[in-house]
Amino acid sequence: MAVKNPYTPLPCRLKEVIEETPTIRTFVLDSKPIDFEAGQFVELTVPGVGEAPFTPSSNPNDPEKLELTIMKVGRVTSALFELKPGDLLGIRGPYGKPYPIDSWKGKEIFIVGGGVGMAPLRSLLLALLDRVRDFKRIYLRYGARTPKDIVYKRLFPEWEKVKKLDIVQTVDVGDETWKGPTGVVTVILEEIPVNFKNSVAVVCGPPIMLKFVTMRLVEAGFAPETIYLSMEKNMSCGIGKCNHCRLGPYYVCKDGPVLTWDMIKDLKEDPFL
Amino acid sequence: MRKLLKKDLPRLIEWLKTSYLLYGPTEYGFAPIADHTPELITPIRPPKGIFFPQYQVLFRYDGKVPKSKGIGLFGVRPCDAKGLLILNRIFTQGPYRDNYWQDQYQSGIIIGIGCNQPQPTCFCHWFGIGPFGKEGCDLFLTDIGDGFLIEAVSKKGEDLISSFDPLLPPTDQDLKRRDEIVARAEAQLKDGIDPKLIKERLDNLWESPIWGELAERCLSCALCTYLCPTCHCFDIQDEEKARVRIWDSCLFPLFTQEASGHNPRPEIRDRLRQRIMHKFNYLYLQYKEAGCVGCGRCVIFCPVNLDLRELMRRILDEG
Repeated sequence: MAVKNPYTPLPCRLKEVIEETPTIRTFVLDSKPIDFEAGQFVELTVPGVGEAPFTPSSNPNDPEKLELTIMKVGRVTSALFELKPGDLLGIRGPYGKPYPIDSWKGKEIFIVGGGVGMAPLRSLLLALLDRVRDFKRIYLRYGARTPKDIVYKRLFPEWEKVKKLDIVQTVDVGDETWKGPTGVVTVILEEIPVNFKNSVAVVCGPPIMLKFVTMRLVEAGFAPETIYLSMEKNMSCGIGKCNHCRLGPYYVCKDGPVLTWDMIKDLKEDPFL
Repeated sequence: MRKLLKKDLPRLIEWLKTSYLLYGPTEYGFAPIADHTPELITPIRPPKGIFFPQYQVLFRYDGKVPKSKGIGLFGVRPCDAKGLLILNRIFTQGPYRDNYWQDQYQSGIIIGIGCNQPQPTCFCHWFGIGPFGKEGCDLFLTDIGDGFLIEAVSKKGEDLISSFDPLLPPTDQDLKRRDEIVARAEAQLKDGIDPKLIKERLDNLWESPIWGELAERCLSCALCTYLCPTCHCFDIQDEEKARVRIWDSCLFPLFTQEASGHNPRPEIRDRLRQRIMHKFNYLYLQYKEAGCVGCGRCVIFCPVNLDLRELMRRILDEG
């Protein structure tokens, strides 16, 4: 049998585009060409334009569809934002290591997201909610720039009804509609109501936010091996060959993209650069 | 061990061409051998690009990419054969195999040749290779004047050569001559450095002024990475009708730049340090071998005369 070519994307079609914010949209594929676990990422192809790495934002347990929530920021994402339902895409993966959700049984899970970093966290959150009885409690702390920039505004009301899920949101700058806290995400991390001996923290957001949130989580009492950080790099191959995502001895694509603080805290290379 | 008379070299070449698309050295790099017997020189460019092309179509949106015949490389120097072996390990080990590399390299054959006359810029012996290192070769040739001694290094090499008739058994005189040539060449490569020590010293040098000083001279032109037998950074891009893989370099400023514009290694200093750390620290950590074969190309061709050997000595002194 021929060896499977890890660089070959599978064809798929765009089914629906949901506008989340002025710059962020959710792209719903018409099928689920590949299986993934929460935390793993894929390389999405816009044919003739290129491919880029994204972590799916849909429930990994959903057998029928795959969604990616994407911010328009570069060449590939700009081309993606021009596409319409029915247009052809390519997808390959999944790559990287998933969150070790099984090992979190009985624990409190403290999730911190910033901006479009909420996209991969939604996939994790949905996977956790599918087996919510396994966990003591789930916390979600989310920060966006302004109320307009909050991703999944349409889904928060539903999540807020879940008894075991404790959500607090903040925005850097509020407006007349905003009633919640204002300030960067660390302002809602002053109180972390977990038992640090039996909890894990998960963080996803821009590098500067990762840095300050990690510092706060360590100071609050999370052990380094219980802090899971979703790292961002300019990844290309996804399989640990091309070297774009090198971080010290790691390939973020293959050894991550989620790395624990324990793995990177002593690296000479600053992981938050 | 067998002997091939020099007058029979064209016959060997023609015979190898019946099984392989045979490449031999030219001044600028390895090229298909047409109807001449190649001059056994060391090309400016190492042979990595034969199996890992600088520009390679991975697939086409409008058709198939034709498969090529197995490639034979004739006249590969020990450093370059080892370089290919290092690349093979990187491309084929770990959870994923790069099948573009694997298909080409593993269906090919490497015919090495010893270096009777090492150059002043050669330092392959630092990495345990030496002028007659056979690692990574299927067949290995030693020029003993009137002919070549041919040694089968791998089973593939043995299978191939066992059916080539015009070979003679070497005489005692031939073997003695070979030993003299080897001893003379090896004696020219002195003052080795232990790559394990370099790895350890680099652990202490992250904040060293060395990197800034080098960066004042380095142009970040990436010539060293393009000529390096083991450098393998690449990028995957789309053309209108095809996906292509092209060589990239960790020395280029855009290499790590993210779509947002954020760049973790904006300065030449950061990128130079990354290149040295990757080759001599991270790769050593992973495989107990550095990502350098001492071929000397970066020393010879650097436009601002940076000498990797001087850097290694500084690392040992200051780390």
